[in-house]
Amino acid sequence: MGLEQEVLNELRRAVGREHVIASSNDLRIFERDASIEGAAPDAVVLPANTAEVCAVIKIAAKHRIPVVPRGAGTGLSGGAVTIRGGVALQVTRMRRILEIDPVAQTALVEPGVVNQELSLAAATHQLFYAPDPSSQKACTIGGNAAENSGGPHCLYYGVTTNHVLGMEVVLADGSVHWVSGDAPDRIGLDLCGVLVGSEGTLCAITKIKVRLLRTPPSVATLLAAFPTIDSASQAVSAVIGHGIVPAALEMMDQVTVGAVEAHYRAGYPTDAGAVLLVEVDGISESTRELMAAIRTVLGENHGYAMREAQTPAERDLLWAGRKGAIGALGRIKPNYYLHDGVVPRSRLPQILSAVGEIGVHYKLPVANVFHAGDGNLHPNILFDLRDTDVWPQVESAGEEMLRAVVELGGALSGEHGIGLEKSAFMPWVYSPDDLDAMWRVKGALDGAGILNPGKIFPDLEHKRPHLAGRTGLAVEAKWW
Amino acid sequence: MSRTTVEKPATAEELARLLHEGAEAGQAVFPVGGGRAAQMGDPSPRDGIEMRTTALDRVLEHSQADMVVSVQAGITLEALQAHLGKSGQFLPLDPFNSPGHTIGGLLATGWTGPLRLRYGAPRDFLIGIRVALPDGRLASAGGRVVKNVSGYDLMKLQYGALGTLGVIVAASFKVYPKALHDITVEANHDSMDQAWAGAERALAMPMPPAALELFSTGRVLARFLGSPDATKRMVADLGWSEADGSVWHQHARTAPPLWARIAMPRHQLRSILDELHSDQQWWASPGTGIANWAIAGSADEVRSIRALATAAGGSLVMLAGPDEFRHDVGAWGTPPATLHLMRRLRYAFDPNQVINPGRFVV
Repeated sequence: MGLEQEVLNELRRAVGREHVIASSNDLRIFERDASIEGAAPDAVVLPANTAEVCAVIKIAAKHRIPVVPRGAGTGLSGGAVTIRGGVALQVTRMRRILEIDPVAQTALVEPGVVNQELSLAAATHQLFYAPDPSSQKACTIGGNAAENSGGPHCLYYGVTTNHVLGMEVVLADGSVHWVSGDAPDRIGLDLCGVLVGSEGTLCAITKIKVRLLRTPPSVATLLAAFPTIDSASQAVSAVIGHGIVPAALEMMDQVTVGAVEAHYRAGYPTDAGAVLLVEVDGISESTRELMAAIRTVLGENHGYAMREAQTPAERDLLWAGRKGAIGALGRIKPNYYLHDGVVPRSRLPQILSAVGEIGVHYKLPVANVFHAGDGNLHPNILFDLRDTDVWPQVESAGEEMLRAVVELGGALSGEHGIGLEKSAFMPWVYSPDDLDAMWRVKGALDGAGILNPGKIFPDLEHKRPHLAGRTGLAVEAKWW
Repeated sequence: MSRTTVEKPATAEELARLLHEGAEAGQAVFPVGGGRAAQMGDPSPRDGIEMRTTALDRVLEHSQADMVVSVQAGITLEALQAHLGKSGQFLPLDPFNSPGHTIGGLLATGWTGPLRLRYGAPRDFLIGIRVALPDGRLASAGGRVVKNVSGYDLMKLQYGALGTLGVIVAASFKVYPKALHDITVEANHDSMDQAWAGAERALAMPMPPAALELFSTGRVLARFLGSPDATKRMVADLGWSEADGSVWHQHARTAPPLWARIAMPRHQLRSILDELHSDQQWWASPGTGIANWAIAGSADEVRSIRALATAAGGSLVMLAGPDEFRHDVGAWGTPPATLHLMRRLRYAFDPNQVINPGRFVV
């Protein structure tokens, strides 16, 4: 389609000629995030500050052109994909940490700041930023806030929304607002709460104030092997059932462990049916007592070959294996398709056996590496996109897995967002009235549909034919 | 607020129907749970239907293994805690003016207590919600799993909205295991300087207390939750005297007849409380930035403290008091700069301002 020359000129005047990308070759770089489906934007605009973001959105609103905010493009649900064309609002030039206040334990950052850079900067004050997506070396705080991202340590510490104190946002009309802030119990509606996790459909985020936590004085990390996924799942429920909420409680199946061990040599037991990575933190008395209790519970549930990291370097290696797991899967197949449904924790054995059966049925290898403590699955369907006709099979397998999640009382996404990928499945969980309530929010803040159109809501106008004809379950509405 | 009719629906569907009928008839609807926060907000200028949720008092599902509970909105906090307690679990919420709060009321008002220091507010552990809307629809958001980003987080939008976006009929929560060890200590200081210093010292412990309350009398109460050795070490290091755990139960019953909540950026709280005359009584949670003031003074004094609080980035909200007093000082103070956005949202859910008209800031 392309933008009219007049629009491009306006965008160039707003942010500077060199910060607008419009050649078709260059635009192809921005057609995807870390999910599968792609569509190139008509232009990529790289603003330097809030005023430029406002200017860009005002131009887009005037010409009724979609605007899709984009951070590092590490999202896994197509949130940053410009499915209706328009402008990709690339915020990576806005990457300053504006303030770290060690007394108030807060940080004020621009949206393009990389997650890990913030934690490294905070570490000089013995503070850290808790949400730690596996992509934390690349993903941005702005993207994290837009998607309400999680990570392994969110089991104890909570997800992004629990750590965002306030934001400066630009709405679809180009107006700038501060929502929430340092003080608790603010007057009026919690706008910040609904904007976090709105996947770029309600606002562009231009500044984020986050809570930092004190670095715990003591950390203990344990790797334990289990004969089967089932026994590992039982052990997860048993730990939590004993009233212990570890900082992190992660599971990897045998396929994943094999790939990780070949890549990282972290000492993962490759003969095990599954391994658990358990971490507790706090004062030394606390970590010692909790870890002793955890070892007992894991032992009672067929855990073996338990190994506790003895040094920070050993701990880092164990975590490198976990956080790099999906990359390591490239040793098996070049492509992966990853869902992140959530089930009630006690349903882990059922859903994992269902996922396994679906993989067998479609003759596709599946590797599980996930946040077991939260019941948050990450089945990776492994394939080679160059194989003819494999993609529809992969997509169908993924869809069946999510269907199984929903039928077990679960949710479509724990931390990746609905985006493009799962919007067609929303009626599985929500009734038309439920979706209408969400749509009212969209209508109130972006009635013209400028910001990130085609995401979250089932697409009625621009049908995706291969997903048509799916019946609604609306399990939430029926359940209450 | 004068109420012409009282309704006590037995189901969420009935509540939605009554709400819709009221809206169609041009009546205002005032949702009431336990009535513990009945004086929060501005007095409504309109008559209408009092919609009691107290017949919606069931636990819908409690999965002990998943540590998730779903309840109808009219269940009292005490009934829910008794249910969860049988499994060694609890909802970490200990609001003032207890007992008798309903879950729906606590979500609508956003009232919290001392345990917020460790566990956060219900905003942080509310995972699903169902509301009745003035057009008669019932809408759910979230779900029954502890981690969920499926669609907009309408739980956050409904929390603290005082019913203005719909009447909460059910909710799901992440619940918590009771701590292995629970110990309370106290210190009584002669000067407020010492009391504040003591509070800050306790908050800076390597394992901070789960609750810490500072009183205008110079008393400081701290509650440590955790593993036995860890809590014992913190208590030993702090060196305060042990207090009976029932002190929290007593504290939660506090409910001054003339009452304001002051919420500040944590490090601004003391500067505001220092402005109160020494004969004023208050209690505060210095770790969260929230204080409760048992007002013994004039509307002018409240207004001047509110002005200071607002200037420092905080707020002063009236939680209880006679209609005339609340009318005089205003329940909320200066509205936020984003009021017009909030009003757009309210209009989207309740275009004719049927629910609690005139009561909320929005």
